[in-house]
Order: sequence, then C-alpha cells, then structure tokens
Amino acid sequence: GSKQAGTPADNYQLARRRTLQVVVSSLLTEAGFESAEKAAVETLTEMIQSYISEIGRSAKSYCEHTARTQPTLSDIVVTLVEMGFNVETLPAYAKRSQRMVITAPPVTNQPVTPKALTAGQNKPHPPHIPGHFPEFPDPHTYIKTPVSENNIFISFLILRKCKEKEMHPNPEPAKCLISVTLPLISEGRNFSQLPDLLCLPFSLLPVIAARPFTVPYLTALLPSELEMQQMEETDSSEQDEQTDTENLPLHMST
Amino acid sequence: MNRKKGDKGFESPRPYKLTHQVVCINNINFQRKSVVGYVELTIFPTVANLNRIKLNSKQCRIYRVRVNDLEAAFIYNDPTLEVCHHESKQRNLNYFSNAYAAAVSAVDPDAGNGELCIKVPSELWKHVDELKVLKVHINFSLDQPKGGLHFVVPDMEGNMAERGAHVFSCGYQNSTRFWFPCVDSYSELCTWKLEYTVDAAMVAVSNGDLVETVYTHDMRKKTFHYMLTIPTAASNISLAIGPFEILVDPYMHEVTHFCLPQLLPLLKHTTSYLHEVFEFYEEILTCRYPYSCFKTVFIDEAYVEVAAYASMSIFSTNLLHSAMIIDETPLTRRCLAQALAQQFFGCFISRMSWSDEWVLKGISGYIYGLWMKKTFGVNEYRHWIKQELDQIVAYELKTGGVLLHPIFGGGKEKDNPASHLHFSIKHPHTLSWEYYTMFQCKAHLVMRLIENRISMEFMLQVFNKLLSLASTASSQKFQSHMWSQMLVSTSGFLKSISNVSGKDIQPLIKQWVDQSGVVKFYGSFAFNRKRNVLELEIKQDYTSPGTQKYVGPLKVTVQELDGSFNHTLQIEENSLKHDIPCHSKSRRNKKKKIPLMNGEEVDMDLSAMDADSPLLWIRIDPDMSVLRKVEFEQSDFMWQYQLRYERDVVAQEEAILALEKFPTPASRLALTDILEQEQCFYRVRMLACFCLAKIANSMVSTWTGPPAMKSLFTRMFCCKTCPNIVKTNNFMNFQSYFLQKTMPVAMALLRDVHNLCPKEVLMFILDLIKYNDNRKNKFSDNYYRAELIDALANSVTPAVSVNNEVRTLDNLNPDVRLILEEITRFLNMEKLLPSYRHTITVSCLKAIRVLQKNGHVPSDPALFKSYAEYGHFVDVRIAALEAVVDYTKVDRSYEELQWLLSMVQNDPVPYIRHKILDMLTKNPPFTKNMDSPLCNEALVDQLWKLMNSGTSHDWRLRCGAVDLYFTLFGLSRPSCLPLPELGLVLNLKEKKAVLNPTIIPESVANNQEPVISSNNHGQSVGFQNTEDDHLIKETASSISGHQQGVKRKADMPLGSPLEPGQILEKNEDSKVKLKIRFSNSQEEEEIDMDTVHDSQAFIYHHLNMLERPSTPGKEQSAGEINMHPVSAAPLSVFSKESNSSKHSDHHHHHHHEHKKKKKKHKHKHKHKHKHDTKEKEKDPFVFSNSPASARSIRSPSLSD
Repeated sequence: GSKQAGTPADNYQLARRRTLQVVVSSLLTEAGFESAEKAAVETLTEMIQSYISEIGRSAKSYCEHTARTQPTLSDIVVTLVEMGFNVETLPAYAKRSQRMVITAPPVTNQPVTPKALTAGQNKPHPPHIPGHFPEFPDPHTYIKTPVSENNIFISFLILRKCKEKEMHPNPEPAKCLISVTLPLISEGRNFSQLPDLLCLPFSLLPVIAARPFTVPYLTALLPSELEMQQMEETDSSEQDEQTDTENLPLHMST
Repeated sequence: MNRKKGDKGFESPRPYKLTHQVVCINNINFQRKSVVGYVELTIFPTVANLNRIKLNSKQCRIYRVRVNDLEAAFIYNDPTLEVCHHESKQRNLNYFSNAYAAAVSAVDPDAGNGELCIKVPSELWKHVDELKVLKVHINFSLDQPKGGLHFVVPDMEGNMAERGAHVFSCGYQNSTRFWFPCVDSYSELCTWKLEYTVDAAMVAVSNGDLVETVYTHDMRKKTFHYMLTIPTAASNISLAIGPFEILVDPYMHEVTHFCLPQLLPLLKHTTSYLHEVFEFYEEILTCRYPYSCFKTVFIDEAYVEVAAYASMSIFSTNLLHSAMIIDETPLTRRCLAQALAQQFFGCFISRMSWSDEWVLKGISGYIYGLWMKKTFGVNEYRHWIKQELDQIVAYELKTGGVLLHPIFGGGKEKDNPASHLHFSIKHPHTLSWEYYTMFQCKAHLVMRLIENRISMEFMLQVFNKLLSLASTASSQKFQSHMWSQMLVSTSGFLKSISNVSGKDIQPLIKQWVDQSGVVKFYGSFAFNRKRNVLELEIKQDYTSPGTQKYVGPLKVTVQELDGSFNHTLQIEENSLKHDIPCHSKSRRNKKKKIPLMNGEEVDMDLSAMDADSPLLWIRIDPDMSVLRKVEFEQSDFMWQYQLRYERDVVAQEEAILALEKFPTPASRLALTDILEQEQCFYRVRMLACFCLAKIANSMVSTWTGPPAMKSLFTRMFCCKTCPNIVKTNNFMNFQSYFLQKTMPVAMALLRDVHNLCPKEVLMFILDLIKYNDNRKNKFSDNYYRAELIDALANSVTPAVSVNNEVRTLDNLNPDVRLILEEITRFLNMEKLLPSYRHTITVSCLKAIRVLQKNGHVPSDPALFKSYAEYGHFVDVRIAALEAVVDYTKVDRSYEELQWLLSMVQNDPVPYIRHKILDMLTKNPPFTKNMDSPLCNEALVDQLWKLMNSGTSHDWRLRCGAVDLYFTLFGLSRPSCLPLPELGLVLNLKEKKAVLNPTIIPESVANNQEPVISSNNHGQSVGFQNTEDDHLIKETASSISGHQQGVKRKADMPLGSPLEPGQILEKNEDSKVKLKIRFSNSQEEEEIDMDTVHDSQAFIYHHLNMLERPSTPGKEQSAGEINMHPVSAAPLSVFSKESNSSKHSDHHHHHHHEHKKKKKKHKHKHKHKHKHDTKEKEKDPFVFSNSPASARSIRSPSLSD
C-alpha cells in the first residue's frame, strides 16, 4: 500500500491494513521467524483479511436470518463452527503466554456514509427496551399506511425534491419509497401549495397534472430504471432456472 | 413473354422520357424549417415538337429553371390548392368531389400533366427536333412545408442534434412533388443521384448506396452522396435526416438500422428478427433482395407506421420495444415484414397506372400473409384472413363496394364506377383513407383466391417471373427500353398467370377485380330421414348495396357421425336447394370414435344430438374461397359440437358468435370447456370469455355457482390457499398471459338481476390490482394492468339517480368511488413510473370517460384536453381526443368541436390531424339526418374551407375532411344553409327522363337530406307526381312540371344507401330500370345557376343552356325544395307498398321516420324559418304526402 489515496475511506482502509500487517508480523515473530519477505507478509495479510471478512459477512447473515440487525456472540460462534474452527480452543489460545500485545491502531475517521434519505423521526425506544439496543429503523419500513388519496402525492413530492436538490445521489431509497410502500407522512394535506397537482372537478380526487414532454417518445418507450433493474435480476435468476430446465422443451423458441 | 409484354408495353403519357435525376439539397435549416436545393432531370424527348415540359411540384418555391444551361420560362399552377375557386355559395359535396377529381386530373402525372410547366427555350427547338437529350435544372426552396417533409424539432436546450431534431419525407401515395420538383408518378422510372448537405452531427439516410460522405471546408457540415442505379419512380424516393444512432445488422451487413438518440438498445432488440423475414421472402420468391442495401429508419411523429421506399423504409419510432414487452412484439414484426414485402412489390416493381395498384398491394399483402402463416402458425393466419374478410365485407356492405380494378373512360356504364361513393376513385388522391385501407385488404384476399385456383406453387412462380424480368430490365441501360418491364399491369399479371399455370382465371377476375361487391349467403337445412339426404338451402342477397351475385362452385363441409365430407355445390342462377346425400345412418348407440376432417378420431358425447340425424355440424365455404358473409342456421347443439370438435379456428370462432343466441347450460359448458382447454387457440379462448359473459347475462336468473370464469381464473392464476390473491406474475406462457389479461375484462361485463356488475366480481378485480406483483416477471405487466383498468371501466353501469346535484367524493356510489380511486392512483403512478407506450394512461382516460358518460362524475373535457396537447405521447393524445370527440357528440358542445377543428388545422403532427377527422367521422357530433344545434352555416363554411383550401398540403387529410363533410351533411347542400340567391337548377336532357312515379317518393323517403330553407314556404308544392324532369326557372305560377329537377337536386340520391335505381331493379321491368339510370346520370349535370360561373369544370358544357332567360321567380321555385323531405314521412307508406317486402330494414326505417318526421320538422322550421308562420308550412306538407294529391296541392300554394 504505497499509494497515498486521498479520500477518508481510502485512508481508513489503509490504516486497517497496516494494523493487520502488524498483526501478521507479530504472529510470525511469535512463530519464530526473524524476517519475512514483503510478498509473503502481503499474502498472509490478504488471507487474514479475507478470513475476518468472511466471519463478519457470515455472522451478519446469521443475524439477519433471525431478524436482528446486529450480530451477537452466538452468531459469531455459529459462523466459526461453520467455517471449521474449533471454538473450544479459542479461549486457551487467547490466554497463551507468548502472545504479543499490539497497541491499538491509530484512530482514523470513520468514512462518512452518505446520509440516507430519512423519512420521519425514528421512534425512541419504549421503556421496556434497553438503551443499548439498536435504534428503530425508519418508520416507513414498518409503518402500515394504507394506500389512499393523499399519500401518493406526498411521496411524489418527496421524490421530486430528492431529484431536484440532489439530496441523495443514489435514488434507491426514493425508488423503493414509491414502488413498494408508497405511504409516507400523512400530515400536510394542503394541496394548494403543490403546483404540480391539479384538483380537477372530474374526479373529485386530486390528480397530478398532465405535463407535456419535450420528447414524449423517450419516456414512453424506454423501460424505467426500475424495470431495467428488474430485468437484470430476472435474467440472472432465469439463468439459474435454465440450468435446471434445460432438458425441458423450449416453448419460447421463435 | 418478354415480347408480348413489349408489344402491349407501357405507353408513356409524356412526350419525353426521364432517364436520370439529380436531387441536391444544399441546406437544411431546422430552426426555420426550410430546405434549399436544386434538381436536374435528364430527359429524352420522344416527339419532335416538344416545347413544353410538365413536371410535378407542390409548395416548392421555384427560383430559376434552366434547360441545357439556358434560362427557361415556366408557369406554376396548382389547381388543388383551392379546389373551388372564389368564394362561391356552392356547398354541395357532389360538386366539390367532381371539382376535386378534375383538379387532381389536371395535374396528374399519369395523364402527362403537372403543376409546373416549363417552356423549352426556342434556341433549343432544333436540338429537340433531333430528339437529343435535355437537362432541366431547377433551383427551388421549401419554407415550412406543411406536407411531404415533416420536421420534428423538440423545444429544448442544445443544438439541433442534441435536441434530437429530425426531418423525414412522408405522404400518401405519390407525394414526392411536395419536396422536390419531379415527375411524381409510379410509372416514370429513372436512375438517381441524391446529395444532402447536413450538419456534421446529423446523418442523412436516403435511397440507394451511400457512395461517400464529404466534409465541407469548415468541417461543420458534410455531404452525403447517394446513388440509386436501379431505375426507380420519384414517388419511391425518400429522405430522413437526424442525429440518428446507427446499427449495422449483425446478421446481414447490407442492412442498416437508424433510430433516434438513446433508443439504440431498443433498436437492437426490435430489429434482431428482421433477417429471418429477409430469408423467408428470398426463399419463397427464389429471388434475392433486389437492392444492394436496405435501411430502416425509426422516426418520431410518423405519418404512417410503415412507409416503404426504394431500398429504405421509414417506421414510427413507437414500434421500437424492449425484450420485456409482449404485446408489441408481434405487431412490430408484422410491420417489418409488411415493409419488406413492399420492397419487392411496390418499390422495386412499380405499377403502370393507378388501376394496377391492386396487383402490387395484393402481391405484397399475399406474401406477407405467407410470412404470417409461417411465423405465427396456421391458426393465426386463418384468424387473420377471417378478420380481414369480415372487415372488407362489413365495409362493402356499408358503403356499397370496393372496386379493385377500375376502368375509366370507355363504356358508358363505367363512366362512374363508384357512383355510390362520395369521392372519385379515379385517383389515389381523392380516395377516402378508409376506402384505401379496405382496398389493400381486398387486394390481398383476392390474391389468395387466385392462389386457391392455381395453387401456391404457380403463384410463386408468377411472382418469381415478374421479379426476374424486372431485375434483368433493371440492369439494362435506358436505351434498351427495357425499363417498362419493371412496371406491373393488371393485364401483364394476368397473362403471366395464364402462361405459368395454364388456367383461366378470367371469371374470378371478373367477379372480384373488375366488379365491386361481396356475396351474402343465407343458409339453412333440413334433414330428410327417409332419403338420408341433407337438404341444404342457400339463398343470396344480391340486391343490397355492396353485394353481388355469386355463380359457381361452393364448398360445403358436413361433419357426420362417420366422418367429415366435403361437397362442392354449384351455385346457379335459380337453384336454392341442394340435396347432399349423407354417408352415415344415425346410430348413436354404437360406441365408436368419430373421425374429424384432419384425420383425428375423437370420442364424443352424442347425447345432445338429434336421434334421427347423423349430422354433427355443417359449414358453408369453410376455406373462405369466396369473399362472402355467411349466415347459417343450425341448432345450438350443432354449434356446440362445432365449437368443441371442429379443429379449424375460424369454425370455432363462428360457433362462439352463434352461441351467443343460445344462452343455455349446454352452451355454457361448451364454452367453459374450450376456455380450459390448453391446446385450443388462445384467440378462440379469448373470444369464448366474452361470449360466456353474454350468455351468463342472458341466463342471469338461472345461473348457479360463482360468477362465470371466476373459479376458472382462480384455479389458473391465483394462490391455492387464498383464492382472492393472484400469484406473482409469470408471463412465460403467452397463451395463458393473454387469457389472464382477457378474463377480467370479460368478467367485468357480467351483470346481476339489477343489471349491475356483481359486487363479487368488482372486488375480485380490485384485488387483482391490489395484489398484482410483477417483481419476479421477465416481462412488463403494463398491458395487463391496462386491461385491468379496462375491466374496471367495463364494470361501470349507469348512475341510478342523476338529479343535478354536484357530485362530491362523499355522495359517490361506494363502488364507483373504489374504481375512481384506483384510476386516480394509476394515473398518478404513471407520472412517476411511466409504462411502455403509456398504455395505462390510455386505459385510465378511457375509463374516466366511461364514468363521465354514465353520470358518475361530472362530464368535463378539461382533463382530456390537457392530455391531448402536443407533447404527450401519441397514443395518449389519441385516447384523450377520442374522449373529447365523444364529449362533443354527447354534450353537443360547439366549443369543443371548434377546439377539435382548430387542432385539425394547427396541430404539428399530421397523424393526429388525420385521426381527429377520422374519429369525428366515425363518431360524428351529428349526421345529415339529424337536427343539431351544432349544424350551422359557420360550421359548413369552416369545413368547406378546410377541404377546399385548408388541407391542400396533405391528400389524406383532405380526403378525411371530405369524409367528415359527407357524414355531417351528406352529398347535397347542407340543410342549415339558406338558399343561394339564384336557386336555379339546370337539368339537361329533361325530355328523356320520364320517371316512374314510385321512384320519387322512394328517393325522397330515403334521402332525408335535410333541406334548404327559404322565405317562401307558402308557395311550395309537392310535385312527386310530375312526369317530366324540367329545367326549373319559372315563377311559382308556372312551377308545375319543373319540380323534378329541384327535388333531385335537393336529394341527390347518389350517396344515399338506397338509390332509386337499385330499389327498382327488383320490381320494375328493365325498361324502367334503364330510364332511371338515365336520370341518375343526369344528376351530375345539374348545376346551380349562380355557381355555374365558378364551376370551371363544367362551364363550357353548359354554356348554351345558360342562354335561356332566367325569370324572377327562382327563389320561389327553389323554396319548394323544402317541401319534399318534409313530406317524406307519409310518402314512405307509399314507397313501402311499391316495393314489396324485400327490404324489411328500410320499412322499419320508414315507419320510424313516419312518426318522428312531422314533429321534427315542425320544430326545425320554428327555429329556422323566421319568415314563416307554422300554419303556412303545415298545410302543404300534409297534402304532399300522397303523390296523388299533388295536383290538388298546387292550388293552395298558388293562392298564397
């Protein structure tokens, strides 16, 4: 890692890697090596990093599997067992005499993750839940709001605002807002402030006004991003299927 | 063969022959929408004294003409700019149609005419006399063309290329003259050099090979040089310029596709199939694609979806689609295949004259049909043929016939082969668009009939022959005079057929090509048990308009217990009954499998059938080898057997339609079985859904079980555990996809005993919408969701109480409220996640109109008008406009009508302009027989102006305006107009026309052509009895004999569904018939005095007539015109007697009128004739009721 990368995220990565290198080196020393080639240390570092990452990833899956958001010790244990590690040897190993103590890595700034689109206030914990438990997620992910006349406009406006102000470069949450849940905040029924809405007498329900496009065929013909994404997903999943159904007659052939 | 064709060969109507033309467009300005360029025509004089060269050119500004570098004088005159000159008072359509046909002929290149007449400079006369080559060089420019070239310039930031601005040539038939001077005929072939200088970011696509592209010195522009060495007619030259994305076909490198920016992925997918079409055509025609390259261009705001030109086709960009779209895929492929078929026949092989058009349209349509059969299967093909057949039959019966091969001039009778139509069929440019569509449809059906006669093998040989002759000719030099072999003519085609097949198809041609009309069969049968014979009775109706008599073989297929048997009956003049021996005795008890037509043997439950008869079902003309409509009577169980066991999809569809009349549990079972049967053709199953809904409604009181189709749908598409929740969409199986789409739409048509849609069904559909989940689907569900909205719309029934209360959300019917919420939600969703082609918006708009019409929400066009604006997707605009048109009709809104008409004049998109007129014609705000507040003089003037001069840039639009005018006002002078001041009518040859008295009431009764009003009602007289047909020019005191002429003028029976001649044919002897013909033919010669001065087409014919002195009583005599229609009702009684029982429809009609008329007219007169008292008018028309009383009427009127 000789390159000096500029972004905080890269710095963080480098720092982590450096720590790992120290760990590898100390383990090597512990094993009796006096010196090691750089390439060998790099390789070992890579291996240890992969191993730890795998533990993390796997633990996360177990935790999610049981509908939790943060892994617990048992998740880690199951993971280690799953990876073929004899957990019972671990305490003994940790208490071994010849182990070297490494100083804590220098504190680097956690990279700032772009702030996700927050919708509404996260609910505080009710008294019976201990404070160290994770926060409630965004309300829109669990609140049940039946689809009705108003909320669609609100969500529309939010999407529009997101787009306009580029509050969030990644449209993912917004898209999900629209396509899956639709519901949102239910306050603010004052449609008169919303220039894009037209309360037409015909329908008695507010309808978004029809706005002509400069190039109407583009929106009409091109699949939306959502659809594109869907198509990719189904394509990949279909490939899996196809391997299963290869011996079936293909009724789709042209 | 060569020689023979050469002998009869093509004779050019021009005194010269064009060999080569250069078109050079130096400058295209998108901002100003202008084009500057020149053309250079190389021509060889064919006569010594050629001193004038006529060319076609419209809307071009011509700066300078040089012939062999010498300045030449030229005259430009386009009579079609304004058909009827000056502000004439003439407002009758007959007059207009004649004048229009005359104007079009006056510039018709096929008659050697043209708008641009160039004088050959006298210095060159000697040169010409030696028949040496002339080069005609014309500099021209086009400024904001309204037709021919269409500019699409989106209004946004950026330069033209970034904005996606493009321009392309378009038009109906030969329309090339709109964008450069040429000989705009399909029969004048020459080689081409085409040069276009465009912005460096743009691409110019044109015909032939791209030889080179050269940058200009400043590198800001480049010039595209195209060469077309295959002789081609100017009408097949085209151009498209835009910032296109280019795709070389990965399978065939000589094919290149072009589309607008950002659409490349769609283009890739859409055209990935084209090479298979190529292979197919090349294989069946055993001929290589004639041009060295092929280009497809997809553009916005297309004039038509598909336009074929030499070596390139221009398509609507809306045909492009991604792999996720199911419904559009077959449609687009069909368009591609159609365009390619026309490359061979239409572009490469051109036609000799307009009357040979049917051969080209027929062949290209026919080979396209073969492609359909191969691609989509026999079922789809037969379904399509049936569909086309039904369409043409319906159209011909409605309008009176489509003539494929009109012969002009010559015989007297053929002078006007289409007297039943309100337009001339002599020119493609005077044809109604609908007629032309039907013409193409008939052409390919007739080709199929020829194929039936001579076999497909011979048919393809004939095509191959035409093509190989043409390709030999195309490679020859001009001097060899071979080029005319690239033109096809009817006689050449027929000769080819007889040479190749050795069969005489003349009778077939005579029946279907040289004559218009279709055949109408009525069939019924009885089984004679003693003789074991099927007694089949086949009647024909050949007297109604649009029909003809069929004589010849007719195939009948009888399915008996022992198998299926074909019989060929000879349909002759007078034989109605045909005895067909049966093969099997009835023996239903023996258990045995029953053989079907296709050799399959099936078990049937025969308990339903008649114990005495071995007949399962009977089909007349199963192969559709006659252009016919068959109404056949057989019992319900026979239809049910036919539906279940006949393997032909056409038979199944016929059976389904027939079963609508038999709402019994057995029909229900047969339909449900078909619905469930997966082997069954999906279109049949879809049709069965709708039939089942109808049957269920008829059986509503006895219906048991859940609503029709619900359990079936649940079983097929819903979760097993929770039947109200639909499974995640999976459209991999297209058959069930189409069924899934259709079933809810049909279910929504169910009604309970209160005639409401059952709550259960509505809730079910709402649940389908609610639980619709397309996440795992490979395909888009936009069409499915759109149909679910259609289903919601179908479930709407008229509001119970409409007492002018203002509807609010709260007092809305709760069901309707649910529907409305759903629609609103969909409509709003579309703004965020628009669906492909905005199908959902389209359905929503339609549904909202349904809610409005049924009185659930206030009727209001504002929403539709906002969606109809320029800038919305074309499908959405059309749907919105359709709603506005409907609103205009229902609410009789003058304002909306004006809004629509102004759009017809001003909208930037030609297709929208055309479509508005088309929709107004199909759903008119009023018709000629109706009283409407909308019908007023200003509207007449406005429409007249529209067709007279407002639409001169677009043939199709002008013909659309003519159609609308015809629908609104009929052929004669619109009723709402005051009389022209000099209401003098000439009627020539009056002495010959002695009419039978029965005709007059008939024609009057049938032409409720409303009437011209005047100030002089009191003086009107009924003249139905007049024996002679005079020139009307006397005063009221001497009216007596002249009424005839006036009356006929008012009625103009030409366009009416019942011509006097036709009606009489049955009853009267031939003498009478002849006389009537005469009188008919005179119609055209009648002219209003005051307009004679304007009507240039006729003026010299009638000059001598004008010399007769006119007298001051004209107005009065014209006033009488009023009386006839007014008296129509009572007269109908008379006419009924006179023409016996053959026309039950008409009688019905008359009776109906009988009651209505009096009231209506009283009413009308109140409004319009301010000068009159009611009493005054009342009397005369009471009197005039009876023809016998005519004489007595005179006296009271005279005393006035």
